[in-house]
Amino acid sequence: MTVLADSTSSSPLHFAQYFLDHSSEDLRLLWSHTWLSVVPVVIGLLIALPLGWTARRYRWTYPPIISITGLLYTIPSIALFVMVPPLLGLDTLDPLQVPIALTVYSVALLVRVVADGLASVPEDTVQAATALGFRPVERFFKVELPIAVPVIAAGLRVAVVSNVSIVAVAGTIGLSNLGQLFTQGFQLSTPDAYYPPIVLGIVLCVLLAVVLDLAVVGLNRLLTPWRRAVPS
Amino acid sequence: MTSRILASGAAAAVLALGVTACGSDSSDDTTTGGSSSAGGATIASKFIFGGAAEFKTRGDGLDGLKRNYGVEFGKFRVTDTGGPVTVNALKNGQVDAANVFSTDPAIKANGFVILADPKSNFAAQNVVPIITKSKASDGVKTTLDGISAKLTTAGLSDLVSKVQVDKEDPDAVAKGWLSQNGLSSAGTAAKGVKLTVGSANFPENVVLAEIYAEALKAQGASIKTKLNIGSREKYYPALKSGSLDLFPEYSGTILTYLDKKATASKPDDVYTALQAALPSNLTALNKSDAQDSDTVVVTKATADKFGLKTIADLAKPAE
Repeated sequence: MTVLADSTSSSPLHFAQYFLDHSSEDLRLLWSHTWLSVVPVVIGLLIALPLGWTARRYRWTYPPIISITGLLYTIPSIALFVMVPPLLGLDTLDPLQVPIALTVYSVALLVRVVADGLASVPEDTVQAATALGFRPVERFFKVELPIAVPVIAAGLRVAVVSNVSIVAVAGTIGLSNLGQLFTQGFQLSTPDAYYPPIVLGIVLCVLLAVVLDLAVVGLNRLLTPWRRAVPS
Repeated sequence: MTSRILASGAAAAVLALGVTACGSDSSDDTTTGGSSSAGGATIASKFIFGGAAEFKTRGDGLDGLKRNYGVEFGKFRVTDTGGPVTVNALKNGQVDAANVFSTDPAIKANGFVILADPKSNFAAQNVVPIITKSKASDGVKTTLDGISAKLTTAGLSDLVSKVQVDKEDPDAVAKGWLSQNGLSSAGTAAKGVKLTVGSANFPENVVLAEIYAEALKAQGASIKTKLNIGSREKYYPALKSGSLDLFPEYSGTILTYLDKKATASKPDDVYTALQAALPSNLTALNKSDAQDSDTVVVTKATADKFGLKTIADLAKPAE
């Protein structure tokens, strides 16, 4: 490939040119970054639902469950990425180590949200549902959970956006995602700073976060049609 | 320790270890004498040295400099493995001397001075493909040996400079090099072989991995690449367990990684020792002449100010 003077410029503004020159590689990184950000939130939510429900149903479990899962969020991400493979007996390059670590963070963020979301369901509503003959399990999925959706969705937005940024950290240990653009730009920064891949990485991360955030907002609207039908 | 090339040299080195070690530990011991740090502060003791964290513990790192030259730095500052952090720290004066690799274009660009290593503290660092034995078919061997035969130290610097300074893509640089050296013709030598090629996360290693990958692809192998993996601690277990099959390595470093006590320093000795140190499922193919050695560099200003030419000069008393 002939290298145009233009594409080798180290000006931060040349990220678009850099993208055009390496689009297939960059799109591959974007794709893996996307699934690495989304899948852990979905799994995290599935784990957080029973935990949040327990914390809500048996009030005495609320403080320990919330503080322990909350503490998980304070584990530095790089430490978690490095520790997961030996702890679980995975290969050091197994791509699963990232979603596993991120699931831990998603659970940490979502348990409290699920518990608080369920707490936001008015007591009258629960009693009315019981009076209408809903059994506990049915009542949970058909009444309480749907009503808790807006609160849970707010938590999901935080979880998914924070995942986008944490995934990038895994780029430094060689796992394929947009974080590698930062490593690349940094490695090429001798003798002079070389910005295009770094700026491109930031731009793509921000765009991805915005798109995923909008997706959660859209999902929230879709799941709560009554909120639009009856303006509160 | 006793496997050094010169038997007398080995004896002297062992002796020096004992002598300098007690000389530096107890300042009132005046019987040490000799050319090293006996009286007063050395130049090195006023220096801050910059290098990767592993340089502290490696056999040829701080220990080796002390053992071979009686050089002990005043302070060690952890930077990166010969990358931008190290180069900039040296350039901006945050460190006075640093561990940088000989092919780094930053040395020339910044006018850094490489201090000579007459006692071969740093072992030979020939570029050598490490491969899973079961994947090293004759065709794969011939292809990779062809590459190693053409690779030179100057050629390696040139490759690094294309990626790092001219910001060309590693795969494009790799293809260019292969066709320049008449190695890009398509064939079937490696047909049916499936290989995963890995590389560490610095430009030179990435280009080397791309060269291996492209050449094998041209010979019909089916290739996956996992480039830019972090440190050796991360990728070596993957190589050993078989999730990577081929990796461009540097004979000296991989040897000391596998065998902390290794003392071989000449290219052939290092290579022989490396073959012996590798686990049974891995093998080193022919080494190339190309070397990317560890070096101790200082800025031109520092070299002039203290009259530094070799690493040994750092052990002279400061004025």
